[in-house]
Amino acid sequence: MQVDVPRFIRRLFSEEAAFAFSVAVLVIGLVAAYLAWRWTQRALTASGFVDAVEGTPFERSVRAIGSSTIGLIASLVAVFVYVLAIVLALNIVQLLDIQLFWTRLTSYLPRLLIAALAVIVGVTAGYRAELAVSERLRSVKLPEVAFLGDVIKYSIFYVAALVALAQVGVSTNALLILLGAFAFGLVFLGGLAFRHLLAAAAAGVYLLLTEPYAIGDEVRIDDRRGVVQEVDVFITRVEANGEEYIIPNQEVFQSGVVRVRG
Amino acid sequence: MIMSAIDGLVDEVVADVDAVLLFSPSAGTYEAFADDDADVPVVVVAQENAIDAETFVELPLAFTDVDGRLRFGLEGAAQNGLVEDGDTVACATSMFGDGMDTVVRVQADQYSPTGVYNLFVDSRPQPDVVRDVFEVCIELGRKGQKGKQVGALFVVGDAGKVMNKSRPLSYNPFEKSHVHVGDPIVNVMLKEFSRLDGAFVISDSGKIVSAYRYLEPSAEGVDIPKGLGARHMAAGAITRDTNAIAIVLSESDGMVRAFKAGELVLELDPEEY
Repeated sequence: MQVDVPRFIRRLFSEEAAFAFSVAVLVIGLVAAYLAWRWTQRALTASGFVDAVEGTPFERSVRAIGSSTIGLIASLVAVFVYVLAIVLALNIVQLLDIQLFWTRLTSYLPRLLIAALAVIVGVTAGYRAELAVSERLRSVKLPEVAFLGDVIKYSIFYVAALVALAQVGVSTNALLILLGAFAFGLVFLGGLAFRHLLAAAAAGVYLLLTEPYAIGDEVRIDDRRGVVQEVDVFITRVEANGEEYIIPNQEVFQSGVVRVRG
Repeated sequence: MIMSAIDGLVDEVVADVDAVLLFSPSAGTYEAFADDDADVPVVVVAQENAIDAETFVELPLAFTDVDGRLRFGLEGAAQNGLVEDGDTVACATSMFGDGMDTVVRVQADQYSPTGVYNLFVDSRPQPDVVRDVFEVCIELGRKGQKGKQVGALFVVGDAGKVMNKSRPLSYNPFEKSHVHVGDPIVNVMLKEFSRLDGAFVISDSGKIVSAYRYLEPSAEGVDIPKGLGARHMAAGAITRDTNAIAIVLSESDGMVRAFKAGELVLELDPEEY
């Protein structure tokens, strides 16, 4: 059961007193907003958030307009607190008696704040994750793996966008179902269509990373014997006496390789 | 009248030609030729077919010397059946600056083909791999390493056989790495490693297989111009023994030379690029 504070105050005091009280609420709201702003800034600074956001594109674009990510979040919190105070004050003097509108607004505001925070955190975390992944993969000297970082970054962006949209009340169910169907179709049909290629690629990644045989080695795969000319993600090229065998990498795995030494 | 005399000379140069080769023409020039009713085939030779010409020969490099450019265009046109043996061809190109300022009359069997077109298009390695290696060589020749002239030897294609005809001089810095000559990072890496002795081995698809290779082909019957050093001799010999091509940056005179099947095919001066 919710306590109806404004009505209680109005019943307790006269109309004038209610007005004075609402002004007081405004002033208190101002102070509270300032305190919230300072507290948020301190808490975020103390928690090492600065290091996390430093250098991300979001921070850079915020810097360009003369602010910082922390400043922006603190301002958001302060504005949120102050808007709450204004709503409360207006409610007390009953300038607008559309109760329904206000209750909606007050329940909507926190969600808006959370949505904004989700976007900020999502963008920052996305870029951070991309950086961390690409840093980790740097030792793998394969320029194409940078793609993996992009996939992770945009996945995080997508989740953040979903959270934000859900918060502001946009119905994301259809979006989720659509995505699920799309992903299922992609995985299922793609897996069906590309299963040989995928098997070859899975084996090829292993072959490229560990290099059990290298270009120039003489090998025998099944009964095909020759010198390795090329190893890529999908196939291995083995050449012998004018014949070039192009062998899918999963065959290399299934039947094994004989390295001919000597 | 002097002008009629020079008109006559130009007319003589382009009289009774069987084909016209336009080198990097503007769209307007090409259309003027294409709309012409005269039954003379027009072949466009350029780095990219920006004007949608019907018959087109792609230049892999912006040959700055006119001789090399004409040779490539003529051999490319002949290879593609656009120009027959014994045809007379007029080539319009630019010698100075950008516009077309030169018209050359060539009898297609008068010059001896050097195989420069085949070097790029018909070699074992892919054409863009050959081009990338050339670009790396030209860049290395122009800038050197820390201001000092360096030499380098790249053996491109048929890497399996080349590896079996050579031995390592030291640990291979490219072992278990998967860099290709077109990758942006490669210029820097190759520049650093060019200080080392030995050859770079590059596979058909452009993967850098190894550095520090000492080539051990048999040098029998290799005929390269006198005065070139051991690096060029090794390059000529390995291309005779395998299906690879070799691209050499000379340390002494700074020229880039390409070898195929044991013969010198192309010579470029990096300073001109």
